[in-house]
Amino acid sequence: MRGLALAPSPESSRGEVGPRALEHADALYNLARYLTRNPSDAEDLVQETYARALRAWSQFASGTDLKAWLFRILRNSWLDRCRHERRHPTEPELDEQAEPASAASDGWLRGDLELERMRRLVGQEIEEAVLTLSEEQRTVILLDAEGMTEAEVALVIGCAAGTVKSRLSRARAALRDRLADYRR
Amino acid sequence: MDCVEARPLLHDLRRQRLAQPLAEDLRAHLAGCTGCRRADEAEGLLDEILADRLPRYAAPPGLKSRLAGLETAEARPARRTWARFAGPALAAGLAVTTGALLLERQASRESVALGALTGEAVSDHLRVLVGQHPLEVESTGSHEVKPWFEGKLDFAPAVPLPEVADLRLTGGAVGYFLDRKAAVVEYALRRHAVTLLVFRSEGLEWPRREGTSLIASAARGFNVVLWRAGDLGYALVSDVNPEELAALGSRFAGF
Repeated sequence: MRGLALAPSPESSRGEVGPRALEHADALYNLARYLTRNPSDAEDLVQETYARALRAWSQFASGTDLKAWLFRILRNSWLDRCRHERRHPTEPELDEQAEPASAASDGWLRGDLELERMRRLVGQEIEEAVLTLSEEQRTVILLDAEGMTEAEVALVIGCAAGTVKSRLSRARAALRDRLADYRR
Repeated sequence: MDCVEARPLLHDLRRQRLAQPLAEDLRAHLAGCTGCRRADEAEGLLDEILADRLPRYAAPPGLKSRLAGLETAEARPARRTWARFAGPALAAGLAVTTGALLLERQASRESVALGALTGEAVSDHLRVLVGQHPLEVESTGSHEVKPWFEGKLDFAPAVPLPEVADLRLTGGAVGYFLDRKAAVVEYALRRHAVTLLVFRSEGLEWPRREGTSLIASAARGFNVVLWRAGDLGYALVSDVNPEELAALGSRFAGF
């Protein structure tokens, strides 16, 4: 894992968590925006994440990746909120919704025209395409784009690292398909 | 290596997650396979789209201020005392649980309030630091600065000038603190700028702190001391160390 590991959490080091955690505020807010789809809910979610993290700081294990730990809290907070408030129905599992791998392979072979279309996409179109993905697909795509390893993503979404590889592959295939539909 | 083996590894190759022998095998396959090269190009294009063109949202400054305030408040002894007793309280029964939740909500609200006050004070201080003509009256005498505010505010701000080594008054201006007018009084402590903001505190959510009327906080590398006297609120902001600023705040507040 990359170097965000912290020392154990004795009382003396508790005060260090804030500045270190704040380094990740932008990345957390970015994911929150793509999960909640609006700025004010995203702010609430990030604030709730930090409040939970500070309360749970004594449970933070030495050697754990702080960034991944914070992302895990954020995602769990979001899922809790969805379940509790019923604002969104629980989204289907990725495997139920994602296209089969063979379809992804076919997508690769669509040719230069598809690639050319994708090259002309603008930010808003890409954002719209990402927002059409399931919650888990969005999460793994964005965490991967953050540069997180499969092990870190696995910690965030609570699955095995090997599972992340297949889910990420399917999520990217699904995104490619959606992107290819733009500018047709 | 064939295409079925190669395709799932393309992303890992770009992320440099493959062991050297496997990476070399994959590169050798790519060199001779047009279909996989195209697939690799598609992977690279998707990476580029996500990295360079997908809108990325930064946390708003106000949120960061609140997060900093949250951390400061959580780290306070009073908060830790609550946390120490929270477990037994939760175990004691529903009534106590309800009380704890209310206490938590109160603590969270106060953390937000402290974050908002701290963030605003630091922003006001920064406006003074970066402004080309931040002071509307420049003077080293409080007898000149204090009267200057007459007629410009609906309250009479104190312009304290305690005898502190290397502290001097430099001037004042009228500014805003959140939604209300504020007296901005500027000092220099050695080479550090120190801003005192005086404003009506009515309607502002103010964190409660037991045992002292001074509240120390910090955001974006600046330290802040807050206090109230009567219906006025005071915020002292500087990059001097927290202990020195707290001592200065005590002198300013007359505690």
